[in-house]
Amino acid sequence: MSAHARLHAPTIVSARDLVNRFGRQTVHDRISLDVREGEIMGIAGGSGSGKSVLLKTLLGLHRPDSGKVELDGKPVDAISPDEKAELIGVLFQQGALFSSLSVAQNIMLPLEQHTSLPAEEQRRIASMKLALAGLSTETGNKFPAELSGGMVKRAAFARALALDPRILFLDEPTSDLDPLTAAGIDALVKELNRSLGITVVIVTHDLATLFTVCSRIAVLVDGKVSVGTIEELRRSKDPWIHEFLHGPRAQGAMAARRRSNGNG
Amino acid sequence: MTARLSTLEPAFALHGDGDRLSLDGTLTLGTLPQARASLQEGTAQRKVRTVDLRGLDRLDTPGALFLCELRKSGVKLAGARSEHAALLDLVCSLDLAPLPTQGQVPRWRDVVTRIGKATDDFFHDTLDIVTFVGRAASATLHALVRPRYLKLAAVSRQVAETGVNALPIVGLLALMISVVIGYQGVAQLRPYGGEELTVNLVAVSVLREMGVLITAIMVAGRSGSAFTAEIGVMRARQEIDALEVMGMDPIEMLVVPRVIALVITLPLLTFYADMMGLIAGAGMAQVLLHVSPLQAFDRLRLAVDVSDAFVGLIKAPVFAFFIAVIGCMHGLKVKGSAESVGRETTRAVVKSIFLVIVLDALFSILFDRLGL
Repeated sequence: MSAHARLHAPTIVSARDLVNRFGRQTVHDRISLDVREGEIMGIAGGSGSGKSVLLKTLLGLHRPDSGKVELDGKPVDAISPDEKAELIGVLFQQGALFSSLSVAQNIMLPLEQHTSLPAEEQRRIASMKLALAGLSTETGNKFPAELSGGMVKRAAFARALALDPRILFLDEPTSDLDPLTAAGIDALVKELNRSLGITVVIVTHDLATLFTVCSRIAVLVDGKVSVGTIEELRRSKDPWIHEFLHGPRAQGAMAARRRSNGNG
Repeated sequence: MTARLSTLEPAFALHGDGDRLSLDGTLTLGTLPQARASLQEGTAQRKVRTVDLRGLDRLDTPGALFLCELRKSGVKLAGARSEHAALLDLVCSLDLAPLPTQGQVPRWRDVVTRIGKATDDFFHDTLDIVTFVGRAASATLHALVRPRYLKLAAVSRQVAETGVNALPIVGLLALMISVVIGYQGVAQLRPYGGEELTVNLVAVSVLREMGVLITAIMVAGRSGSAFTAEIGVMRARQEIDALEVMGMDPIEMLVVPRVIALVITLPLLTFYADMMGLIAGAGMAQVLLHVSPLQAFDRLRLAVDVSDAFVGLIKAPVFAFFIAVIGCMHGLKVKGSAESVGRETTRAVVKSIFLVIVLDALFSILFDRLGL
């Protein structure tokens, strides 16, 4: 999907005037965020800026003190479990693979629960999802405890994609990974977005991901959110955002962005 | 719940003539069984060479997988929209292999393997216990001889946790056990006209066996499991590794204070349980036999000896040592995951209660030989 088409794509994730408080501390102070269908939105912010709480709120796992969240035009708490399973897939930070099930069983679990496909078909789909996530089929018989950090992320990716959801939420997909594996995950996200048209929301503070993968980013600072493309946000007056996007690490990521834009 | 997707999905149709079929509508997870069925129908009568995808609205990865299989079997896919073509290219380029199936093991072989594994585990478990008991005992003696190594603050915290906080539940259990023995004693002895002896029965069984046994089982379930879980979580979060690299011995830091604390508290708890049991026994005498508590206590002097109380109390530190050591040992055995903490805790409790009862049986034989 071209950048132009994306600009006019319908909004698929919409948060309006979210307020989240913990005790006296206000984590989110009336923040609003729209994600359009088919785009890759990055959510960034310092540690403790409420990125994970925002993600939980968008997923309907945390009820905000006020404000509302709509996914595909429906309030998130009005979406039935079946609809939710079709609509969203989530990659949790630690993978959250079910430790008593093998990787293949982890991927087949949503298929078993939400479709009436024969077991043979489920196995075929599971093997395809493994390959899609860049894992060999032998990995399917392994248990989560036997996997390395990068493989856990990929297996969790495969499970998040099990029902071909329309929106994919990724919580720190590249944290704890070596740069090569992280780059592999970044490439995977881009590829899935391009060929499946899947909308992706990435919570991360990995600058390389933000600069090379995301079409727009939302930065959380002091309970407020600033949304825009990298170029727009680099002109921001906010000192934290300026430092974040101009710091020494950001320079490297910016160079990577120019390279990847030049190639693609 | 199941099959809901297929009812929601819009229609899918496969039609055509000659060697050309047209695919219309949606080819997704929901319509996949339908697609397979109609394709089988379509290819049953004739050889299909081309499938036309112009009418296809929606395609997802399982749908693309289905079309890739078609392509591999020699059918030409024509007229795919650009976004569908991209998806097809992605899925078709994947290196697909069927999921390996695990070989089925015959049942008899499975049984033999399990027996063998259980025996091997039992052997290793025993070895582990013996080794760890030795290490813990040596570390404890070392700490006692050189009080510099004794973590008094930790010991006192453990005494409060394992002893003081257990008083209500242990007292209540001792009372209940006396009530049970009292009722049974009266019922069994009345036909022989010996119901008066129930007072003796309660006193002797509480002092010699029940007080210490019930307390030890309660402490094994309560504190033994807590030891495993506490140390296990520390192991899972690499806190034990941190201790080791900072030159501190986990046994000295974590195991010794717990062992010493439990060896102090279990005899005290046992004594307390004995007293509660005797009080409940006197209460039962009043209710069932109309013997006043004063008379009942007076009779205790005739019924029991100091050696009866001694026989019960001497077992307590031994039980305590093994409960603490097994709890700590399983805590240190935890590997990484939270699941492992749960598994080791279960093992620790089962093993320590088992060991308490085995030791109790051995003590019975020993005391019988000694004539106590």
